[in-house]
Amino acid sequence: MHEYSLAVAIIDQVKAIVKQHKANRVKKITVSAGPYEMVIPDLLYEAYDIIVDELDKFRGSKLELIMKPAEITCLNCDYKGEPSKEKDEEFAFNFKCSKCDSRDTHLNMQYLTIETVDLEIPE
Amino acid sequence: MAKEKKIVVKKQAYIANDEIADQIRVEMEEKNKLFFNIMGSIGAGKTLLLERIAEKLSSKYRIFVINGDVATTIDADRIAKQGATTVQINTGGGCHLTAKLILSELDKIDIDSYDIFFAENVGNLICPSSWDIGAQLNIVVVSITEGEYVIKKHPIIFKGADIAIINKCDIEGSDFDSKVLREDATKIKSGMKVICTSAKTGLGVDELINTLGIKFP
Ligand SMILES: Nc1nc2c(ncn2[C@@H]2O[C@H](COP(=O)(O)OP(=O)(O)OP(=O)(O)O)[C@@H](O)[C@H]2O)c(=O)[nH]1
Ligand SMILES: [Mg+2]
Ligand SMILES: [Zn+2]
Repeated sequence: MHEYSLAVAIIDQVKAIVKQHKANRVKKITVSAGPYEMVIPDLLYEAYDIIVDELDKFRGSKLELIMKPAEITCLNCDYKGEPSKEKDEEFAFNFKCSKCDSRDTHLNMQYLTIETVDLEIPE
Repeated sequence: MAKEKKIVVKKQAYIANDEIADQIRVEMEEKNKLFFNIMGSIGAGKTLLLERIAEKLSSKYRIFVINGDVATTIDADRIAKQGATTVQINTGGGCHLTAKLILSELDKIDIDSYDIFFAENVGNLICPSSWDIGAQLNIVVVSITEGEYVIKKHPIIFKGADIAIINKCDIEGSDFDSKVLREDATKIKSGMKVICTSAKTGLGVDELINTLGIKFP
C-alpha cells in the first residue's frame, strides 16, 4: 500500500538528477528491491505512471523493478549477505545464517535502491 | 540533437525520508526530549494506551502527541482530554506517517515547550515499518483479539521494533493466552522487550512507562 509514496520518493530523487545533468527528459529508471520489502511491482508501476503523466520531463518514461535476494546480518557471527536456503517452517522471515546456522539474524530492510537513470541529454 | 546517457545512482529510495528522520532524532536528543513511535494494527488500543499514559504523566510532563489517521480527529481529541497537547495528521489515502509529515508538525511548535513526544502511527502492520519517523524507540501494539497468529503473519514490523505490546490482556483466557504472542515476538527478534497490557484496566501501563525510561511523577 505504500507504493505511491515510494514512487514519489523515486521521482523526487530523479528530479534532482535531471536538473544536475540538465537533461531534456527521462527515458528509464531502474530500481531494485529485496523480496521482503512488500513492494508490489504492479502497484508501483501504476503509481509511477499516474504521477509521471503530469510531469513533462518524465512523461512516457519507464520504471523497471529488479528483484534482489534477501540480505541478512547474523547477530551471532556478524555474517552479512544472503541467508541459507533452508526456510524456517514457523517464521517466514527468520532466516538462517549461511555461515554459522544461527537463526538470530537481522533482515536488512529498506534497500529499495535507485540503480540507474537513462536520460536524454542535449548535445 | 540529443544523446542518451545512463547515470549510475545506487541510492536508496528512502534516503530523503531517512535524512529527515535522522535530523529529527538528533534534534530531540540534543534537546533532551523523548520521542516514541507507536505503531500497531487497527483497533489494537494505541489511542487508549496513550490516554492512559497521558493520564498518568501529564501532571509532571508536557506531552505532545501527533496522531496519524486516514481521516477524522477523533483520536487526537480523545488523548487531549487526558492533559496532552495533540495534533491530528490526516494522511488521506496514506497508510503510514513519514518523517516529513512529523517535521512539518514539529516546525509549527516550540519543541522546548514539551518534554515527551509520541506519534500514533496509522493503524497498519505493514507499511509504517519501512518509514523511519525519527523516533528513539519504535513500539508495536497488537491485541489478544487479533488471534494467536498475528505476530507470525506480520514479522517485518516486529523485526524493526524495540518494544512489543500485547494489549487487551484483560480478555485473556478466551481461546489462547498471550504466551504464544510473547514467544513469537522474542523469536522474531531476540532481546525484544514484550509487555502485556490492558489499556482498559491499566495493567502493565506502569511497566511500559518504566521501559520507556520515563520517571513517574
Ligand atoms: N477490553 C479492552 N478493550 C480495549 C483495550 N484497549 C483498547 N480497547 C478498545 O478497543 C477499541 C479500539 O481502541 P483504540 O484505542 O481506539 O485503538 P487504536 O489502536 O487507537 O485504533 P486505530 O487508531 O483506529 O487504529 C476501543 O473500543 C477501545 O475501548 C484493552 O486493553 N482492553
Ligand atoms: Mg487510534
Ligand atoms: Zn552467523
